[in-house]
Amino acid sequence: MSSQLEQFIPVLMLGAFAVIVTVGMLLLSVVLGRRGRNSRMKNIAYECGMIPIGPSNVRLSVKFYLVAMLFILFDIEVVFLYPWAVIYRELLAEPAMKNVALISMVSFLGILFAGYLYAVKKGAFDWKD
Amino acid sequence: MNVGLHHYLIVSAVLFSLGVFGVLLRRNLLNIYMSLEVMLNAANLALVAFSRFNRNLDGQVLVFFIITVAAAEVAVGLALIVALFRMRRSTYVEDLASMKH
Amino acid sequence: MKGLELIGLEIAVIAAGIAILLLDLWTAKEDKRRLGYAAALLVGVIFLASFAMLFEGRQEAFHGMYVLDEFALFFKRFFLIAALLVLLISVEFADRFESGVAEYYAITLFALAGMMFAASANDFTLLFVSIELVAVCFYVLVSFQRQRDRSLEAGVKYLITGALSGGFLVYGIALIYGTAGTLNFRELASLGPEVLESRLLLLGLLFVFVGLGFKIAVVPFQIWVPDVYQGAPVPTTAFLAAGSKGAGVVLLARLLYTGLRPIADRWGPVLVMLAMLTILYGGLCAIPQRNFRRLMGYSSIVNAGFILLALAAGTADGLAATLFYLAAYLYGVMGAFVVLCLARCPGQEDETCVLAGLHHRSPLLAATLTLAMVSLAGIPPAAGFFGKFQVFKAVIGQGAAFPYPAWALGVAVFGAVVSLYFYLNVVRTVFWSSTSESVAPIRISHATRWAVYLVIFAILWLGILPGAILNLAEYAVHSMGL
Repeated sequence: MSSQLEQFIPVLMLGAFAVIVTVGMLLLSVVLGRRGRNSRMKNIAYECGMIPIGPSNVRLSVKFYLVAMLFILFDIEVVFLYPWAVIYRELLAEPAMKNVALISMVSFLGILFAGYLYAVKKGAFDWKD
Repeated sequence: MNVGLHHYLIVSAVLFSLGVFGVLLRRNLLNIYMSLEVMLNAANLALVAFSRFNRNLDGQVLVFFIITVAAAEVAVGLALIVALFRMRRSTYVEDLASMKH
Repeated sequence: MKGLELIGLEIAVIAAGIAILLLDLWTAKEDKRRLGYAAALLVGVIFLASFAMLFEGRQEAFHGMYVLDEFALFFKRFFLIAALLVLLISVEFADRFESGVAEYYAITLFALAGMMFAASANDFTLLFVSIELVAVCFYVLVSFQRQRDRSLEAGVKYLITGALSGGFLVYGIALIYGTAGTLNFRELASLGPEVLESRLLLLGLLFVFVGLGFKIAVVPFQIWVPDVYQGAPVPTTAFLAAGSKGAGVVLLARLLYTGLRPIADRWGPVLVMLAMLTILYGGLCAIPQRNFRRLMGYSSIVNAGFILLALAAGTADGLAATLFYLAAYLYGVMGAFVVLCLARCPGQEDETCVLAGLHHRSPLLAATLTLAMVSLAGIPPAAGFFGKFQVFKAVIGQGAAFPYPAWALGVAVFGAVVSLYFYLNVVRTVFWSSTSESVAPIRISHATRWAVYLVIFAILWLGILPGAILNLAEYAVHSMGL
């Protein structure tokens, strides 16, 4: 038990070091920066930084949302594809499943393809507006 | 310490309760929706644990279907919430009371 | 593989849905509405094909997950008729959708496929998948009038409550699977009472019942009903009331009458309690209701109570009564919603003007609505009377074996009397209210006229000559081995 713990001592040391450095830097900046004194000059971007333009919470186009949704829907098919691929040889060996093994997956992908066709035709991937 | 079935079930029950309380107590539709997903995943965890414990794979098959259905539900649900937000500019449940007798 | 030919009907429905979806891409905008007739035609053909299905007795497929017997076929036909009528009235409704008319038909077909799978589900996996297929389709169908505030609000409400009940359902299934070690109803029944009576399994069962009770609109899982019925597009509401409820009932019936038959004395009393609560709640809330759609929502709750009461009997008679009651209910609901869909008044959200003076605008629709109300109220010679009669018969036939027989009968009689009041109130508004006589007469297209005739014919036929359907229901029940 103790030897196991000893192996972790370097990790602990690294963790402690990281915490000390970050907390120390933050504290130092507060102390040295004379916290509480705000002025217009102090709030603008520092030296070579850009003066910010526009609101800080930029809203993304709803197109991204559509793409994300379609990605999730088409991504999920792998959940079924993967196990099917793993046992495909065993399915072929089994006489009852021999003919169905391929057809069932092709029909599944066919339904998904119909959905894809629909999405393309409806312009879901047409980003130009 | 050995991790047994009980530990999985306790985690799953905690997750499920968190989900239920989230649905009941949260006021933002998106938070509610996330809580609903947590509930489904609590059930997934329980099913996988039981499947291992029972030594049959039915439970894991069901988990595949739950994942798929959850994805479909999220796609439809978020679309609905986005549409509602565009119309009402709000996703809070208090604003869902335009229908009374 | 054995099995593919058994799910032929479902494959046909899904293929029809995909075909409509793809046809839409190459159809001119003004013709899209008429795709609904194509969809209705396909559903009609599939309905006829269901009688040509060759099979002997009970057949199982996919490791006992899917079962095809007369019971399943009865419900499949029930859902097909409901979808047929819904598609016909949604063609009338189509001009009120901003866009995506063809999608509406396609999603209706997908929901129908889910219901048909539900009719055959003999396993918790298929139960979950079919119920969620129906639910996800309905999330879209309810909120289909995207530009209409109320439709969207109803959609979000249905979504949240539906997903919540779905979460409970899944967790319940997990608990049952954990204790029983199987997801199959048949295997569940063979486990013996000591496993079935274990506390964890009963808790899981309770959770599953939350999921199914939500679909059937049983108190206390009924909160969504009035708002969603009011906000959703009319064809969707009709499909919710008939189809979605039917799917919940068939799943519950299959689960209780095959998987949990050995512990009938455990679920019987619970069901009766909930049935009484449901009837009382629905009946009392319906009395002050002035909005017709909300009224139909509460009516749906009351009817859920009667269905539950019949199911609670736990006998073949009770199940047959459930089947007949649902069939009668289907035509009553469809009659009401066909009228609501056709008789609209522009610019008004409230439906009172639809009803007031309807007999001036269209005697046919006024007669249909009256007949539907009479049927739902349970007055002879309409179908609903015989449905209620069957339920009472099943309860009394059980005698003392039925849990709380006196209370149950009392509440049922109370529910019947109260519903008499609020349904006939609708009829009174149609004929004896003094407003809006100047509204133009209603034009009805040929296809919808036939739908209306079908509803009228079915209500009268089920009421006057119930023998045929009753035989069918009993035959269906026997096919389950009761």
